[in-house]
Amino acid sequence: MTHAAQLTAGAVASGGSLGQPVEVVGLTKMFGSVLAVDDLSFTVAPGRVTGFLGPNGAGKTTTLRCLLGLVAPTPGSATIGGKRYDQIGTPIRTVGSALEATGFHPGRSAINHLRIVARSGGVDERRADVTLSLVGLTDSAGRSVGGFSLGMRQRLQLAAALLGDPGVLVLDEPANGLDPEGIAWLRSFLRHLAGEGRTVLVSSHVLSEVEQTVDDVVIIARGHLVRACPLTELTEATHGVVVRTPQLAELTAALAAAPGVTVVPQADGSVVVRGADAAAVGRAALTAQVELHELRAATSDLEQVFLSLTGGATS
Amino acid sequence: MSTATTSAPVSVEHRPRLVSSELLKVTSTKMWLGMLVGVVIFIAIGIASSIFAPEQPGFAQPRLTTPEGIRNLFANAGGAYLFAIIIGALGMTQELRHQTLTSTLLSEPHRNKVTGAKMAAYFVIGAFYGLIGVIVGYAMAFALLPLKEHTDISVTALWQIAGGAILGSGLFAVLGVAVGTLVRNQIAAILGILVWVLVIEQLVVTFLPKIGKWLPGGALAGVLQTTGANGTTYLPIWGGALVLLGYTALFATVAALTTQRRDVT
Repeated sequence: MTHAAQLTAGAVASGGSLGQPVEVVGLTKMFGSVLAVDDLSFTVAPGRVTGFLGPNGAGKTTTLRCLLGLVAPTPGSATIGGKRYDQIGTPIRTVGSALEATGFHPGRSAINHLRIVARSGGVDERRADVTLSLVGLTDSAGRSVGGFSLGMRQRLQLAAALLGDPGVLVLDEPANGLDPEGIAWLRSFLRHLAGEGRTVLVSSHVLSEVEQTVDDVVIIARGHLVRACPLTELTEATHGVVVRTPQLAELTAALAAAPGVTVVPQADGSVVVRGADAAAVGRAALTAQVELHELRAATSDLEQVFLSLTGGATS
Repeated sequence: MSTATTSAPVSVEHRPRLVSSELLKVTSTKMWLGMLVGVVIFIAIGIASSIFAPEQPGFAQPRLTTPEGIRNLFANAGGAYLFAIIIGALGMTQELRHQTLTSTLLSEPHRNKVTGAKMAAYFVIGAFYGLIGVIVGYAMAFALLPLKEHTDISVTALWQIAGGAILGSGLFAVLGVAVGTLVRNQIAAILGILVWVLVIEQLVVTFLPKIGKWLPGGALAGVLQTTGANGTTYLPIWGGALVLLGYTALFATVAALTTQRRDVT
């Protein structure tokens, strides 16, 4: 019995739930005098997995809580399919969410937790059994959640998010506490859900954790938007050609002829050329009669790019 | 295992979905049973001590040979209100303590509906405690009374006390939910309730009955038609019931207003 086989049938249980875009516009949130989120705007598209990234304390959870109507923005808006969360009738049929710091009563069984959510959300209680089997917790259905590991709690959260067979999934740090096998399972599960046309928004403070899962990234730091782009754009930024030359001006002029090429000076006196491979740079240098002291292709770590974007390396 | 057969239609509309969800919250953990045991023990002790306690010459409590005294004995069956207000407060503060409020509000973002459903559910739980209290209390009273010299109680009084006990416990449970909404710390809420109900209110009702009869506990004494020391009487049944309803409505409104825009983090 594989998880992959389980999720295929269950996830399309009702069908018809189409993903809707998530739109955050000018979102600002002050907690007292602390500015947690500052004029944040981004869009999350259906049919894709979007990573919502930023270091701890960047404002990710606050943004998600604003989106889900738990925290009131001051000012700004966060909508799902153009509607505020409280304007969606029986919202868990449209948006499934799992937030950090969502708790369980330790004395309540997993299946009863799901039944309570299903009942109040206007969802058929039989879905509790379905989603519990989707996340592989059927054997623990009757056990008290107090005895669950962090990984099991994460799975139970996910089961609760899936109860209404929603077109939009909002998951806050879903990989926390999962073992490597669990992370691999989560990855294929989320890819599958997005493949069905659902909108999947996943937050994380570690890019490498979701790097193989996400199509798009929204990166924030200190409440501000840093980047919102397809992951491939970030990946491209990791490839470059390191060049060392005493004739930097001439080389830059020579490379400027080619479209999409950038030259970024580095602290150690070298430059990194992006948008051209080592052969192209070498050829350009030869044509322009530029003397080279070093020429090599380099790939930087994606996590390093992420850290430099969010300022995590310096602050 | 074929997963296709386990798939169920997703949407379902059974009307009091929020109230029934709240009731399942209560019955899916063991606390309500523990409190029910408390109700039974508390009322058993109340009835037994009321029958067997020696007469206190200085402090003229009505005796079992008087109609007031026999009413007071049966009014002990209304003791479930204390447990009702506590379980109501626990029901609300637990959501904060275990952080289940988030999933509650994700299912139903309209907070007034959630608060209203919780109050309705706890009214049912409180009234059930009241009913069990009446059954246990009456059974014990009728079993033990033949051991003592006593007068008979009218059937009307029995019905009045039973009705008052059930309604009173239900309303006190709603008051508990409101207190839990306002005093969000669980321990503070429970301690506050115990100090108020068992100490402050008892003192005011006993020594300043003209003020005390207007307090929730004094109003309940009116509903149960008890007679205090030295023949003190409280509000008539309908008056007591109205005062109790008034407190419940007031607290429920304040509770609803304060939760409306509060951030849940």
